[in-house]
Amino acid sequence: MSFDEVFNVIVIGGGHAGCEAASASARLGASTALVTMNLDLIGQMSCNPAIGGIAKGHLVREIDALGGIMGRVADRTGIHFRLLNRSRGPAVQSPRAQSDRAQYRKEMRLTLENTPGLHLRQGTVVDLILDRNEIRGVELLDGRKLGARSVVIATGTFLNGQIHTGPKSYSAGRAGEPASIELAEALKRLGLPVGRLKTGTPPRLDGRTIDWAAFEVQRPDKEAVPFSFGTDDIQQEQLDCYLGYTTSEVHRVIRQNLNCSPLYSGKITGVGPRYCPSIEDKVVKFASKDRHQLFLEPEGHDTNEVYLNGFSTSLPVELQQDLVRLVPGLGKSQIIRPGYAIEYDFVDPRELGTDLQTRRFRGLFHAGQINGTTGYEEAACQGLIAGINAALSAQGRKSLRIRRDQSYIGVLIDDLISQGVDEPYRVFTSRAENRLMLRFDNADARLRPLGRELGLVANRDWDRFEARKDRISELRRVIKETRVRRSDASYAAASLAVGFNLGDSISLEQLSKRAGVGADLINSLLPQPLESSGMRDVQSVLADVLYEGYIENHKTQTERLYHHDALRIPDDYDFRGLGGLSSEMVERLERAQPETFGDARRVAGMTSAGLSALLVNLTVANASP
Amino acid sequence: MDTIVALSTAPGRSAIGVIRISGPRTTEIVKTLVGDQELTLKPGQVVVRNLQPDGEAVALDQAVLSYFAAPHSYTGEAVVEISCHGSPVILRQVIDYVLVFGGRLAEPGEFTLRALGNGKLNLSQAIAVRDLIAARSDAAAKQAVRQLKGELSQRMHETQERLIQAIVILESALEFVEDDLPEVEKEKLHDSLLEIAGNLAGLAQTFGVGHLLRDGLRVTIAGRPNVGKSSLFNALVRSNRAIVTDIPGTTRDSLTESISINGFPVTLTDTAGLRESSDQIERLGVGRTHQAIADADLVLLIVDGSLPAEDRNLEPDSNGTRRLLVRNKMDLPSFRSENTERKSFEKVIDVSAMTGAGLDELRAAIISSFGDCHAADSGLLITDARQHDLLRRAADEVTSSAEILQQGHSEELIVLGLHNALRLIGDITGETTTEDILSEIFSTFCIGK
Repeated sequence: MSFDEVFNVIVIGGGHAGCEAASASARLGASTALVTMNLDLIGQMSCNPAIGGIAKGHLVREIDALGGIMGRVADRTGIHFRLLNRSRGPAVQSPRAQSDRAQYRKEMRLTLENTPGLHLRQGTVVDLILDRNEIRGVELLDGRKLGARSVVIATGTFLNGQIHTGPKSYSAGRAGEPASIELAEALKRLGLPVGRLKTGTPPRLDGRTIDWAAFEVQRPDKEAVPFSFGTDDIQQEQLDCYLGYTTSEVHRVIRQNLNCSPLYSGKITGVGPRYCPSIEDKVVKFASKDRHQLFLEPEGHDTNEVYLNGFSTSLPVELQQDLVRLVPGLGKSQIIRPGYAIEYDFVDPRELGTDLQTRRFRGLFHAGQINGTTGYEEAACQGLIAGINAALSAQGRKSLRIRRDQSYIGVLIDDLISQGVDEPYRVFTSRAENRLMLRFDNADARLRPLGRELGLVANRDWDRFEARKDRISELRRVIKETRVRRSDASYAAASLAVGFNLGDSISLEQLSKRAGVGADLINSLLPQPLESSGMRDVQSVLADVLYEGYIENHKTQTERLYHHDALRIPDDYDFRGLGGLSSEMVERLERAQPETFGDARRVAGMTSAGLSALLVNLTVANASP
Repeated sequence: MDTIVALSTAPGRSAIGVIRISGPRTTEIVKTLVGDQELTLKPGQVVVRNLQPDGEAVALDQAVLSYFAAPHSYTGEAVVEISCHGSPVILRQVIDYVLVFGGRLAEPGEFTLRALGNGKLNLSQAIAVRDLIAARSDAAAKQAVRQLKGELSQRMHETQERLIQAIVILESALEFVEDDLPEVEKEKLHDSLLEIAGNLAGLAQTFGVGHLLRDGLRVTIAGRPNVGKSSLFNALVRSNRAIVTDIPGTTRDSLTESISINGFPVTLTDTAGLRESSDQIERLGVGRTHQAIADADLVLLIVDGSLPAEDRNLEPDSNGTRRLLVRNKMDLPSFRSENTERKSFEKVIDVSAMTGAGLDELRAAIISSFGDCHAADSGLLITDARQHDLLRRAADEVTSSAEILQQGHSEELIVLGLHNALRLIGDITGETTTEDILSEIFSTFCIGK
């Protein structure tokens, strides 16, 4: 077999997963090729031009902490930053930003082009080259063969992609881009378990045809909270967004025309995400609501295009136009890109190990939508882990395993490989049992050291981290030791703020545990109040203090409940021989290959009776050698 | 998976003894036991066969065989129940043969463990089976049956549903902050949480009576010699004898009897005769008396009402244990009904052990521990200490959530206690179990059940 080019790692796909994978792999010192069907669309956001959101923002922070690139790119191109859940606890606050779609692509490509060891190649992969069960490389449509020790498939919605708009459907990976058909078939031929999912996108409008006055303005945060730990502040000019609503008239027309919707006519077989429903879904499932939210999101400074968030649809194009014109303020609006639904193949993620490598084929990694996830951030974090492991594998080094008590990335990967997916998987804070520990502001404390160890965190970033770590621990000490006394001038103000008796004296630490006591108040009570740039440190310290007790509590509880989790399951354990397990459960266990009782406990479909049987068995086996 | 065997009926002679076999080799073993490889066993059909393995000149017994095919059996495995004559000798022989032919003696509670493992019972039902067998009164039996039927699980599921509703509201509020969701009505939620906590606490509290139903009210009769303790003891026992076997765990002691008053189990202990001997024995006796009093739920202090009121040497204070003062011998003419203050006594009752006068009132006072619950058909009671503990903790968790809500904290803190409560409740129905719990429960289970 002769190859036209040989690399250590090949990444197939230039989307969010592919970019992170390629960047990380190259920076780990593995020669890496990013093969994409269209170099101009590297880093393209397929749907909502926004990064972050609840739990998603956490992922971006974690990617950044480990040394990934999404956060930086989002910071340089974001045009509407908002920190969500400001009024709630710090653990559930999460940054979000809309980005200039074109700028994002440009920045992403620039970042990749400036990465030594990373080689961009335009081409369509049609087959994997394997020797027995080991990856050797890929074959392109134009006949080229590229060799590699590791291959990461990050093909997004392109595998056997099928777009639906009304009665029309055609093969495509994204509007205007061809699907990846041969590769999809190749994966099936290899015997990988393939399923079908769907997602959708709303129409885009010409901003000049919108009556902006009819909408409610949504302003970005005055002080933008950036994604990257390396960003001090956001430079570029921000844009406003606008909030509107559908009307019952809109809903009526939709209901009248449901038979035109490929979803409801049965043409689409893939399962869609429950929490990203099309407007048809919303109208049908929530019939009692007389209006649904719509957000008008400008796509950038240099364009008139506007994204109509909340109107995902696969209704016929003419109907989309009519419907949109029924929305107050959009009476004269013009659709420049219609909305559509897209079905695509995915591969059951239970095929993967914790390193995102397929179990059957050495050197083959899957990241992103191919694993059944939805969302740029979900894809990117998988790309990062897969890229890291692809490089480590190619270099013969030990793989990286991210734990679920350490990060949302760990939660996501663990959920995927142990539970599989029934619908496109999206992160939520509730997916993490350790939600209180996984804050967006402490992602650096949790993951920077790991990133540094791998070699993905540059000196400048590492120094910043260490400095911040020191500041925070110093601040913590000060807050613990500083007391507000009755005799102090500040006592009255503090008392007023919390609304109850503070006693003769109270430490700032104690004070901060009360609801309603914010960073501003605490800062004002410090012996040396900090400048606004230091407020983030104060907030982090206060978050640590607030949650400490609850976290301790939770730890002792779960220790008690789950102290069997560490119980090891022998490698050749015979699940079939256990009484009390249905054949389906046995199948899932054999597939999941749990190493410990804790792993087994998380396998989807395990009943308590089955677990009891397993536990009793393991304990008996362990007791009598 | 082994095939297990055990005697399912109580040891000792009786007309019929039942041996139960469960496991993959059940039918194979039974065929060998009857010496007929062509034997066909059909579920729902009983067959009469001689138990005569090949090579045996004489049959061990003629037995009735009942076959239950998996999964429609107690354990969920193939089960055969062999009903033989209840001679201990025969039963022993049959079991020995089963062991030779590939079976193994079941561990205590192993049949039920398998039932649990095969999903035939959930944990609270398994506990109920144990309790049903151990029931020493009608009321206790009825409670166990209710639990076996799943009434506790049902109550728990209802509470689980409500908790989940509250969790959903809170989680949605913080997760879908950009969606158009209705405002969380904090007042309403707070009230709802307190209601849930109240339900859980209320159910937990029934353990006060519940455990008495299961374990029996321990009543100790104390007093100086010759006040009529034994007469009273005998009077109560004679009219309230329960059909019961030995109390497990205690040495055979003719001074303790299990009786049933209006369906409530009472364990009556007489301390008669313990002080009427020489020094050495008396010292032992005093020790035992103190022990009986310390262990008691209720102490009956008997005094002779026909003697003049003197400086009665009343027993040392029994720190919080209920005490009744019983003035005996009201049939004698010298009996005085006095009006002195008896602060440490709940009630003063005049009786005559001889004639039976006042005994009804005494009995009523004894069982007033059981509160308003009518033994015949009370509400659901918690009879298990573990369940009581879990319910109490669950109630506390929900209450603390309500407090956190009240204090104005954010949803992710409010919801913690609710998740904990959900987990604790899951522990009751067995949705989350640990090995320790399992072994604790089943070590109290007798073989063969």
